[in-house]
Amino acid sequence: MSGFVSRGFKGRRRPAEQATRLPPGQYAERGFPVLSAGPTPRVDLADWRLKVEGLVARPQEWTWKEAQALPASSFEGDIHCVTRWSKLGTSFGGVSVDTLLEAAEPLPEASHVVAFCYGGYTTNLPLDDVQGGKAWVVWEHEDAPLPAEHGGPARLLVPHLYFWKSAKWLAGLRLLDHDAPGFWESLGYHNHGDPWREERYWGD
Amino acid sequence: MTMDETDLRLDGNGVAGMLAEVFGFEMTVCWGCCAGCGASNQLGAMLVYAHGMGAVACCPACGQHLLRIARGEGRWWLDLRGLAWLQLDEQARMAG
Amino acid sequence: MGRLSWRLADVVEVRPETGRVVTLALAVPGWDGHRPGQHVDVRLTAEDGYQAERAYSIASAPDGSRVELAVERLEDGEVSPYLAGELRKGDQLELRGPVGGYFVWEPDRGGPLLLVGGGSGVVPLMAMLRQRAADGSNVPARLLYSSRDLEDVIFREELERLEAAGDGLTVTYALTRAQPAGWTGYARRVDAVMLEEVGWPPGERPLAYVCGPTRLVEAVAGHLVALGHDPSRVRTERFGPTGVP
Repeated sequence: MSGFVSRGFKGRRRPAEQATRLPPGQYAERGFPVLSAGPTPRVDLADWRLKVEGLVARPQEWTWKEAQALPASSFEGDIHCVTRWSKLGTSFGGVSVDTLLEAAEPLPEASHVVAFCYGGYTTNLPLDDVQGGKAWVVWEHEDAPLPAEHGGPARLLVPHLYFWKSAKWLAGLRLLDHDAPGFWESLGYHNHGDPWREERYWGD
Repeated sequence: MTMDETDLRLDGNGVAGMLAEVFGFEMTVCWGCCAGCGASNQLGAMLVYAHGMGAVACCPACGQHLLRIARGEGRWWLDLRGLAWLQLDEQARMAG
Repeated sequence: MGRLSWRLADVVEVRPETGRVVTLALAVPGWDGHRPGQHVDVRLTAEDGYQAERAYSIASAPDGSRVELAVERLEDGEVSPYLAGELRKGDQLELRGPVGGYFVWEPDRGGPLLLVGGGSGVVPLMAMLRQRAADGSNVPARLLYSSRDLEDVIFREELERLEAAGDGLTVTYALTRAQPAGWTGYARRVDAVMLEEVGWPPGERPLAYVCGPTRLVEAVAGHLVALGHDPSRVRTERFGPTGVP
């Protein structure tokens, strides 16, 4: 029904004052929509572990206390969901993935990462996209503990890519020498997911 | 309001429109067999998690994924590996 | 054009039901009819192309090309404040359907019939009761309707009339947040004891339809099965997190 416009409908979005900060096709959203592809995993902090494994010289496993003791790092900026909402000027706190990788020492042949999660979700990234200050594991959002519906206890944060790459309920990162498409990447979504190049779907 | 997946969970009805568009059948009354546990149910009984990226529909008996569906511009992607079989009833075919 | 395509409906009337709920009466050209319990998908498009889509249960019994939806305006909603606030007679609304053949009851399915609705979950159940009345059916039916308070009960006068017809329908309210002075009815959320008191024993093999916020639906369905009802005779329509009574 192309062309039809619902008289007077504007939706919840903020007006376009931040239009220059928005990647193509995105709208600014005040809230923080919850998108769930399954039951929210319930993870006891006593049982929670964060692993870095695979093609690394020193596989790592941190408990919650150990993870909290790592050098803190935070992100302030914008996040973009492939469903077209962007949340501008938000903040997350946790640890830089660089810190985790430094401890684990990726082997030279490691080229890709799979983020694997409590509940079974996975997403894949080139190793480059989680190095050099581009990625975090976070457990705080806007100075409060990350709520379970947004991925708490901890999620991956890779804000320069569409937000489905910022895997919720992170259990660990596995380094590989090949690419291994994750949950949405194996169901039509783009393998890379750069919002500035509108890499939304397979074939884009 | 805090919410978790309990609040967001839907029935097969939650994807009735999407599946009708794709299959051309009223899918919630059609039967499917879980490739995991072998339980057969009408798709209306599936437990569904759906949002803008797509939907995952789970077996009401064992919780495994029956089907995954994603929607992009002008196309759909379907992963039906969780279904051992899907029965499409002629009576459920939709006009149009 | 069939049920699978988006089509334009004309808004014929916008009728307030409660402080939060309005009935939208729509004329849908080429409507092929629907079955009680089904829903439509509604799509709104802004001038810049932004779209939002939601599903709404059909409140009316089949009636030619006329379709009624009952929409609860949610505080932080995106679509409902437009439908139950801005939309007016003469506007058009894009919709697709009807769909949802699983959550359907028609009198020829028999009974006895147990309907449990929470908040706006009563809407598809109302379509079933309206069809039942239109058909002159006396399949025994019991509606257990959970609402915040009496002011939030949708279709209250009509339910009173249907019950007064004496054709085997009883309506029971559970008012969960506030009750009028002198209220002797249920003043708590639906629980197993209430379902046992209001519903039929499992031996009667009722057909049960439960609709409303997901939490309520799952709790009620769980209680019914625990009370011994056949799970295959309990159908649910979860609305998600909205309209919590």
